[in-house]
Amino acid sequence: MRLLVIEDHPALREGVCQFLREAGFLVDSESGGEEGLWAAQNGGYDVILLDLMLPGIDGMSILRRLRAQENPVHILVISARDGLEDRLEALDAGADDYLVKPFPLAEALARVRALLRRSYGRKSPVMRTADLEIDPIRRSVARGGRVIEFTPLEYRLLEYLAYRAGEVVSRTDIWEHVFEEGTGGTSNIVDVYVSYLRKKLNAEDAPDLIQTRRGHGYVLEAPVS
Amino acid sequence: MKVPSIRRSLLLRCGFGVGGLLCLLSAAIYLLVESSLYGELDDSIKQTAAILSNQVELENDTITYEWQEGLGTNRALVEGALFQFWNDSTGATTRSPALHWRDLPLFHGVGGAPLLRNIRLSDGHHARAVGLRIYPFVLPEEVAAMKARGNPIDPATLPQTLVVARDAEPVHHALERLRWMLIVGSLLTLGLGFLLVERAVRVSLRPIHELATDVQERAGHRLDEPLALPEDLPGELRGLATHFNLLLSRVAAIRQRERDFIRHAAHELRTPIAGLRATTDLALSQERDAVAYAGHLAACQKSALELGELVKRLSALARIGQPASPAALEILDVTVLVRECWKSFAVTARERGLILADECGPDPVFVMVDLALLRIVFNNLFDNAVSYAAAPGIVRVSTRKVGGEVEVAIANPTLEPITDTSRLFEPLFRRESSRHDAGSHLGIGLTLSLDAARAMGGSLRAGQAGDGIELLVALPAAVDPAA
Repeated sequence: MRLLVIEDHPALREGVCQFLREAGFLVDSESGGEEGLWAAQNGGYDVILLDLMLPGIDGMSILRRLRAQENPVHILVISARDGLEDRLEALDAGADDYLVKPFPLAEALARVRALLRRSYGRKSPVMRTADLEIDPIRRSVARGGRVIEFTPLEYRLLEYLAYRAGEVVSRTDIWEHVFEEGTGGTSNIVDVYVSYLRKKLNAEDAPDLIQTRRGHGYVLEAPVS
Repeated sequence: MKVPSIRRSLLLRCGFGVGGLLCLLSAAIYLLVESSLYGELDDSIKQTAAILSNQVELENDTITYEWQEGLGTNRALVEGALFQFWNDSTGATTRSPALHWRDLPLFHGVGGAPLLRNIRLSDGHHARAVGLRIYPFVLPEEVAAMKARGNPIDPATLPQTLVVARDAEPVHHALERLRWMLIVGSLLTLGLGFLLVERAVRVSLRPIHELATDVQERAGHRLDEPLALPEDLPGELRGLATHFNLLLSRVAAIRQRERDFIRHAAHELRTPIAGLRATTDLALSQERDAVAYAGHLAACQKSALELGELVKRLSALARIGQPASPAALEILDVTVLVRECWKSFAVTARERGLILADECGPDPVFVMVDLALLRIVFNNLFDNAVSYAAAPGIVRVSTRKVGGEVEVAIANPTLEPITDTSRLFEPLFRRESSRHDAGSHLGIGLTLSLDAARAMGGSLRAGQAGDGIELLVALPAAVDPAA
């Protein structure tokens, strides 16, 4: 999952970014309004954490411009403005959630997860496909009751496929949402990591949950019996 | 202590006024009627006396009272009249039949002149009487006869006193009735008037009570809302209420300013506190090595320093809210202060490739200002110029006199034109920081400077100048104290 944090206060920006990274997200950050708007328009992010008082273009303008362009990205406004009018204005302008500063990072993380669930049409915090269970809060994976350990990158890939379970996910989408820019490796690195997932998931001759759609990508779904 | 009351005062004043007027009017009416009635009575008595005074004749060397025979056509005037003659020489007297055997008081004016007097008759009735001295008249034939007898008598040697009276009881009763009528009428009028005045006062004072109730019952959250002035509010109260509302609006403005300040302060404090919290949350979210903790502690320290700076500036902003004390105003050469303030930023400016073009000129320029406040203004303006100017570039400072003010202009080039210069003075507004050395700016420097300039009776405005921005500080000009 790729997130964008647009916040001009260095300590807050760095703190939020690092916390979210440690929670397993890919996080980009911008400190200015113009750069933030450009990144939001072109980055393909799952969730944007947007401050309102920004140098250059203010957060409210960024919000309005993104919504005017029909950009579907989920936006969590983080602002020092705590008035009802401010919250209503932001939500009416297209914000998906509003968090008043100062806030616990754990709450910001929980709200980001909630927006991700909403983004992919899920209600339950635990994602299930056949006998596979993925708990994004604990970052744990179990299949048939057996806990499986994954590296952070493998987990991120599985989580992304799980969020989009049942639909074909292209390699480009996987690359944008799971892999950090500058990740080394060959051009088929996505295929390599999918094979790693299969190995760990399909141990003990369990049926393969990740199907390959040639020329299109991969889909996580229950095997057809 | 008795509280003065408009109602009581109006009632007392109206009561005394109306009562006094009624007394005067009643007295005037009474006196007029009395004078009229007694005048009529006196005329009648005088007329009777005039007739009777011609009824004393000297005939055959004796005094003859011919009033019984001589009344003639005037009989009606003396009928029922009470009169009595006295012969001053002999003391003999004769009375009108109505007196029977009772005497009238004997009196007359000085030298025998007619004198009117109120008397009491023997039956106790009030009466009006006139007393005068008369002399008997002598017919020409009697004069001739006295001469023939060789015993002429001068009538002047036989003075008579005539007192004519008339029963004044009807007049007395009429006047007494009138007196009572006036007293009762006045009291009734006074009582009725009191009720009417009391009612009128109550009605007139009702708007005051309504306004007082409006103020009294005002809820805590509506303290500075203006009073609702009804259309029919009396003019005398409208002025007071309007001025009261003006006062409330000033109070409201002050309260709004306080609220704004608290809101801005709270708002501005939230972000660094959020940064501090984010850093601690992050540090404590998992076990870390010493280097990582040291990094987080350094971030906390930076945030704490930033918070301290912010609190310092917010405190200054709160202090500046009031107009500068006249005692704090002094005359100083603004060019000296400009150069002194610039020194604090000269090193940073040089590092950024900025140079100062001092166009203030060699002559002193005197202004009447608060030195501490003006220092805040210049420090903020230079801080902004050095932080936001496009480098390398020139920061220009100049002074000019415009009317009764001195304008100090600080101009610097900017990377991009600033289209909406009014936004610069908004609290917490920050210009693009990524391209400038302005990361530590909090967005209240210009707000602070604007308030400081206003507190000294000056102003601060921004405008575009060439490829940059110019900030103009207008200050009250002063004359050279040495001149």
